[in-house]
Amino acid sequence: MRTLMPLATLVCLLLAMPLLSSLLRGPWWVPAVVLMVAVTAVSALYRLTSWNLLPVPLLQLLAAAVLITPMFAAGDALAGVVPTADSIAHLARTLQQGLNTIDTNAPPVAASAGVPLIIGVVFVVFMITADFLAVTARCPGMVGGLLLALLAVPLVVEGETLAWGAMAAAAAGFLGLLAADMWVRGREWGMFVPYEGPEARVLGGLRRFAVTAVAVTAAILLALSLPAAVPSLRSDVFNDLADGTYIRTGGEDITTPHPFVSLRRDLGSLSDRTVLTYRSTSDDPDYLRMFALDEFDGVNWTMTPVNASDDNEASGELPLPAGWSEPAPEETVTTQISMDSDSPRVDFLPMPYWASSVEVPGQWYIDPASHMVFTTSSPTTGLNFTVESVEHQPSGDELAAAGNPRSLGGGHLDLPDDLDPAVEQLTEQVTANADTPYERSVAIQEYFTDGSFTYDLSPPSAPEGVDPLAHFLLTDQVGYCEQFAGAMAVMARQADVPSRVAVGYTAGENIEGDRWSVTVGDAHAWPELYFEDVGWVRFEPTPASSDAGQGSATVPEYSSGGRAPGTDPVELPEPGAEEPAPPEPSTPADEPSESPRESESPEDEASAPMADGGDDGTSDTDLSWLPAAGAVAGGLLLLSLPALARVLVRWTRTSGLPGAAPVAGAHTAWRELRDTWLDLGGVWDLAESPRATAERLAGHDARTRAALWRLALAEESARYAPAPADGTGLREDLLTARAGLMSAASRGARLRAVLLPRSLPPWAAPRPAPAPA
Amino acid sequence: MSLHTHHGGRGGAGGAHDGVSEVVAVADRITTAIETVIEGKPEVLRIALTVLLAEGHLLIEDVPGVGKTMLAKALGRAVDCSVQRVQFTPDLLPSDITGVSVFHQDRHEFEFNPGPVFANIVLGDEINRASPKTQAALLECMEERQVSVDGQTRALERPFMVVATQNPADMEGTYALPEAQRDRFMARVSVGYPSPQSELDMIDSHGSRSPLDSLAAVTNAERVRDLADQVRSVHVAPGMRRYVVDLVNSTRTSPELRLGASPRATLHLVRAARAYAALDGRHYVVPDDVQALAVPVLAHRLLPAPEAQMERLTAEQIVAKLVARLPVPGPN
Repeated sequence: MRTLMPLATLVCLLLAMPLLSSLLRGPWWVPAVVLMVAVTAVSALYRLTSWNLLPVPLLQLLAAAVLITPMFAAGDALAGVVPTADSIAHLARTLQQGLNTIDTNAPPVAASAGVPLIIGVVFVVFMITADFLAVTARCPGMVGGLLLALLAVPLVVEGETLAWGAMAAAAAGFLGLLAADMWVRGREWGMFVPYEGPEARVLGGLRRFAVTAVAVTAAILLALSLPAAVPSLRSDVFNDLADGTYIRTGGEDITTPHPFVSLRRDLGSLSDRTVLTYRSTSDDPDYLRMFALDEFDGVNWTMTPVNASDDNEASGELPLPAGWSEPAPEETVTTQISMDSDSPRVDFLPMPYWASSVEVPGQWYIDPASHMVFTTSSPTTGLNFTVESVEHQPSGDELAAAGNPRSLGGGHLDLPDDLDPAVEQLTEQVTANADTPYERSVAIQEYFTDGSFTYDLSPPSAPEGVDPLAHFLLTDQVGYCEQFAGAMAVMARQADVPSRVAVGYTAGENIEGDRWSVTVGDAHAWPELYFEDVGWVRFEPTPASSDAGQGSATVPEYSSGGRAPGTDPVELPEPGAEEPAPPEPSTPADEPSESPRESESPEDEASAPMADGGDDGTSDTDLSWLPAAGAVAGGLLLLSLPALARVLVRWTRTSGLPGAAPVAGAHTAWRELRDTWLDLGGVWDLAESPRATAERLAGHDARTRAALWRLALAEESARYAPAPADGTGLREDLLTARAGLMSAASRGARLRAVLLPRSLPPWAAPRPAPAPA
Repeated sequence: MSLHTHHGGRGGAGGAHDGVSEVVAVADRITTAIETVIEGKPEVLRIALTVLLAEGHLLIEDVPGVGKTMLAKALGRAVDCSVQRVQFTPDLLPSDITGVSVFHQDRHEFEFNPGPVFANIVLGDEINRASPKTQAALLECMEERQVSVDGQTRALERPFMVVATQNPADMEGTYALPEAQRDRFMARVSVGYPSPQSELDMIDSHGSRSPLDSLAAVTNAERVRDLADQVRSVHVAPGMRRYVVDLVNSTRTSPELRLGASPRATLHLVRAARAYAALDGRHYVVPDDVQALAVPVLAHRLLPAPEAQMERLTAEQIVAKLVARLPVPGPN
């Protein structure tokens, strides 16, 4: 029995592992399972002794540490087992690689060497904690906290619904653990058996059912109504936990998912779900930009934290963007954007660059430097807003005339020192014949679009120890917009052109007239380059092709070598015409051949934000009464639960009375009488004999009196007589007595007896008076 | 003490014990007979009958002149059996109760002259006036149901019931019975003053001649013996036994009592409860029987603690409190 609880804990955690299966590929679980089994064995064996239990976690840690070296760093360890400095360094390196893999890859992440180590370490820590909580501290319920943490991971990363199978398995494991604990407690202390009557099983089951029903109902009602009632508590709250960008309000940082994470998710998704539709007065609308990433750390582009304060509230006229001191002469474009109500909430508005004014419900702020418009409160779904933007299409001549950038603040030329020098060389090589910043930019874009690069949504990951940027640029040349945009922005900086990476959507597809539709497949990243006197302009290094590129991407005319205005946008040579060059042979383990996230079905996507519907203004106003009505209905149900349960109890008792064994029948009738009296607020004296009780309860009505008396005598005979009387007429007597008692009570007492039966809670049962002091 | 005597009903249903219904019938007759003499005291009468059927002894304690002796006499009359009356006085000797062996000159042998204790019902009037030695002699007979004189043991005939009356101990010229001897009595009752109406009726009925003279026997000793045997077979459920033990035990642990009830009290209580149940026409004991008998059977054996005495709590009140606090056996 001592080994049962550790084993149950192990099973519980093992069953929780599928929760992560949608995020990882390959045999990521093997080391974790081995380690968990090992530490469980340590716990179970130690508990067979009767020694102090405090060292158990330490011993488990020791066992895990001993096992990790041969599993992950056998080559560097002494005899493959004994840790050495080399092996520890190797472990640290592997761990770092794993973290990088997880950081830079969209799920599902391949289980390369580092990832199983991380998973193994995490699960061992979970296992040791769970073992301590469930077995040593005897609080198995707290293991639920660990399971919730595991549950949160897919929610955070994907922001989507859970796999129900995995969820059910985890729940079953947890329930199994609780059941095992109850069983062990029962063996140790004895179970509480309240009353061994034949109807007690029904009654006990009923009571248990009622308790469960109340708990479940309360949980569901809270889950439904709390997010609606508390604006900051949204069902997608976990999204905000993902690392990434920061918004500062006062001294408070608010995190928002890293733009690349949602980008990868959108592009990886096989659905063509509509994200937004818009009307534009322009024939050739610009991209819809959400983020501008201006910091490069050598691997990833990230965003300088933006500030939310009253000074930069985005209402009415927006400040001019960087590089402009007075409004541009160009025409303005009006774009009316409707976010789809099924799409994830946005806290950064997708809008054309540059916007001169925006009308949007709610509190929104603008970052003057990047011209991003964002909010700190939780935005609504199905947002509608209108943007006035300047249709700013500089000509190639204008750009060519732009001198070296002088007016731009902020480190838009900063690059980390440890960049691969090969990239620098490449930039120099590409821009060798270009003198002006504009020519250098065009040359860099042409380098990407000249056909040598292959567009692939799941590029092979760079081998260990190789700079992914250099790998993309120089070695395999396979990637998608994230790589193209990021690489071009880096090269532009090396060529002394200030740059940043914009993330958002392409203009999408024209439906009819001025209506455009943007789907998840239109998610995009592109570089923005800065030119003196012109400001930030968009470049497009990503192949624009529907079968081998970002289908809806367009190449701005100015970026392709200064053609005269009025010429049609140039379609790039179609790199997809030729067979998409397979990437260089890579290690089989890293082969991402299958398309990611096949399990994702449109229904999953659509159902995700359903739960929180209700409080937004437009498309689903007709459903806004749902939570309120649900709350009212649930409240009524909750209020009537006691009455229903009481009725059910009474029905079970009375319906079983005719034909019941005399003893059981008399007891049942007497209990029902007792409960009726308790419901009415009466006192039930345990020191009183049945007939004395009947005397006390009986009012003036002779029929009630006689019925009570017969019930008392039946109960008395059932309790004390060697051969009890037969139980005929008990049901009639009970009904008569009940009716008599009810009619003798006041109206208020009757109402209370029906709605809030005091006999229902187990603590309401009469108890013997305390021993005389 | 309010007792509800509901005969019949579902309580006696099933196999209406012949014995039990006979008990009821005989008891009814005795009650009716005695009530022609003692009016308005059904509870006292009931206890007296209970003690008779349970083969215990009864102590009637009250102020003079309320009919203690009359009750005992009436009981003896109603049951056609031998009744002896002993008037206890300070100079009464033990042999005045048990009897003496007298030497017959002509036959040259000792002949035993049985004392008044050789009777079915012995009425010990004002027992607390006798010397302790004499009291002790009577109480020995009560317990042993036999008399030992001159090395010879003579059994007393069943039924054997001592009805002793005594004045409250604070009256003059009395020797209060010690606790050990009070313990031998199954029950103690007080007759109490009659109600005004009963007293008026009494003037009429006692005006010309004693009603006792016209009291005819309604049953006989043999019958009573049979009934007592029937009473022994009344069922006491395990829960009820436990209840009695708990009740007696609570007198031992109660801080309000200096002296609790003895194990003999437990036996007396169970026996009395059996008889009480039979008198109600039941063949099983219910808590109401025990509750009704708790004060008569237990109170006279208890000594209140000094604190309780200072609060003027009597043993009767304390027993009633204990009864009111003890849960009756439940449905298990």
